[in-house]
Amino acid sequence: MATSTLRRLGAGSRSTSAVGVVIASALLFLLTFAVFPDLFVQNLIGGVAYGMVLAIIALGLALILGLLGVVNFAHGGLFMLGAYGAYEIVVTQGLSFWVALVVVPIAVGVLGVTMEVSVLRRLYGKNPVIGLLATFGVFLMIEEATRARWGGTPLTFEIPTVLQGAIPLGVGQIATIRLLTVVVAAFIIVGIYSLMYRTDFGLTIRAGLQDREMAEFIGINIPMRFTIVFFLGSAIAGLAGVLRGAETGMDLSLGFEFVLLAFVIVIIGGVGSIFGSVVSGLLVGVSVFILPVTARALATVTGVDALNVAGIGGVVPYIVMLVVLLVRPRGLFGEEGLLE
Amino acid sequence: MSYTARLKRLTSDVDLDTVRELKVPIGIALVAFLLRPVLGSELVLGTPHIATTILIWMLFAAAFNLLFGYVGLLSFGHAIFLGTGVYVTAIGLSEFGLPFSLMTVVAMVCSGAIAYGICRIIVRYGEIYFAMLTLAFAMGVHFIVNSNPYGLTGGSDGLRSGTTPEWIGSFRGQRVIDVPWFADLLGAFGLQPSYYYFVAVVFVVAMVLLWQLIRSPFGQTLVAIRDNAELARAMGISVNRYKVWAFTISGAFSALAGALLMLSNYGAAIENFSPETSAEVLLMTIFGGANFFFGPLVGAFSWFGVQEFLQSFEVLGLPVVGAIELSGVLGYWRFFFGFAFVVVILLSPRNGVWGYVRNGVQNGIDALRQRGSDD
Repeated sequence: MATSTLRRLGAGSRSTSAVGVVIASALLFLLTFAVFPDLFVQNLIGGVAYGMVLAIIALGLALILGLLGVVNFAHGGLFMLGAYGAYEIVVTQGLSFWVALVVVPIAVGVLGVTMEVSVLRRLYGKNPVIGLLATFGVFLMIEEATRARWGGTPLTFEIPTVLQGAIPLGVGQIATIRLLTVVVAAFIIVGIYSLMYRTDFGLTIRAGLQDREMAEFIGINIPMRFTIVFFLGSAIAGLAGVLRGAETGMDLSLGFEFVLLAFVIVIIGGVGSIFGSVVSGLLVGVSVFILPVTARALATVTGVDALNVAGIGGVVPYIVMLVVLLVRPRGLFGEEGLLE
Repeated sequence: MSYTARLKRLTSDVDLDTVRELKVPIGIALVAFLLRPVLGSELVLGTPHIATTILIWMLFAAAFNLLFGYVGLLSFGHAIFLGTGVYVTAIGLSEFGLPFSLMTVVAMVCSGAIAYGICRIIVRYGEIYFAMLTLAFAMGVHFIVNSNPYGLTGGSDGLRSGTTPEWIGSFRGQRVIDVPWFADLLGAFGLQPSYYYFVAVVFVVAMVLLWQLIRSPFGQTLVAIRDNAELARAMGISVNRYKVWAFTISGAFSALAGALLMLSNYGAAIENFSPETSAEVLLMTIFGGANFFFGPLVGAFSWFGVQEFLQSFEVLGLPVVGAIELSGVLGYWRFFFGFAFVVVILLSPRNGVWGYVRNGVQNGIDALRQRGSDD
């Protein structure tokens, strides 16, 4: 069994190129570490923190995509609403950040459920492109409503003093708010995993996914479960928005930027694999922080200044997606036949 | 006398079959030459200046729809091709002082080549993957243009100076075409040689070409692929090759729209390459109706028309309630557009607004015919 798997992995030019890509990236990583050890560690920490935010946004998207078959473009809008909702609670209402951390995800989740019941229920089982377009319209509405309520200028809000400052980690340090992000995100990921794979509830959802008709025959209320999953996905987006807004502030481009990133991550992770998006979220987050350093390291080693491309961070996720899809057309852990 | 009989008497001089056969070119010409007078009249909007922009976006949306409507390929990165048209012509004019006509051809060839290359790489991926990959390329191109390679693209400032060819002059605050034979030609119809009519002529030529392309065996093969790719493949059609060529042609026509947009905007801006541009053309096309040749045109018209109309619309007078101040709310017109878009998608995703209008007119005609035959 093991040998045949190995042989399968080794066969074909595509797998060879996959191995090549992995080795090449490992070498680049080592090179970067050798040239700029401090910078490497700092960026690795930053990349993991960023990757955790990306991972939970993409997790929410992948849940909805994998279970409901809907490509939810409005996810970015819900994420943005999370950030602006935290601003509303902390600055306008004058309440604590911790209140926002609890209330905002629930409010965003309720909004998501409203959207699911009014729009998406009509689209289950149809071509995923139609769901994508309908949710794009919803996204437009959310974005414009946000502009009407909070205006177009970038906003920030004050975080509690406990979360300001940084914690030393032996090698390098991590900002406390980032540490909170990582911890909360880790809780979310473990929680969703336990819910899906360790409870009867998760079992019924997966049953409904495999054979909806049969699951309904044995008395599982599938529409109800879909709504709950949608609530969870939206609430996670809202929570990620609160954390991101606390760390970097917010503006109107937040939603569009992050929904594109979340899509990219889901595609890299593989459609249909919920936890592939966690892996690829971390991969993208780390790449975004490390690759610019790698470019600098390469420029230092080879003496070619042109290799040190400034501001390459923004396109890194798309480069990663391109490379992954060229080597593995269904993403890292994608299932056959979904969305094709 | 029945309606049909009356209609027949009215049209007895005109060969109806010819009209029916040529209804699309006639429609295109009517759109091109009536858009500005209609928009300019005080009754409608009183804003003739957006007519040029609308025509250009109509062309872009129609080029986009060659892919989405006729092959079923969803591209999230069409800004690449519009942007290529804008930047290649702008660079040619400002850096090298080359003529606009030459640069338009160069831009179309460049854009087509880029489209060909991209599509060759990603054509085998499924719908959503294909869309995301076009987005990835669009982000990459946006990044390259923004980083200002060799000082050619001007980075985030864009290109502003020296981008207007010398044959576009200015007359009483309006842009006019300073070419004698063009002025004579339009003068024969009693029209001013304004810049709008230059765009209109290019628009008509390009749209008729697109229409011919769709009517040709090539275009019908694309429709066959859209409707049933498996069957098309079984019949010996090389599906991927047709998709690649459709993508190439769509890219070239988008670049033509881009070249015109460059003239209209007095230069190139980095926004032409942004993912928002790709998203807008997608919204327009679907809203108008991807199934129809005129759908994208209706979509582009609605997008800009709604924007202009709602923004100029300030007070709503209602008989009972009285006047309601709406200017504050309607500034956020995208909200209402988004709502209308969702409704259109839920009702019928491929027919769009134009599908409804068509159906309504068709039903009306049928009802009239019915009454005519009853008499």
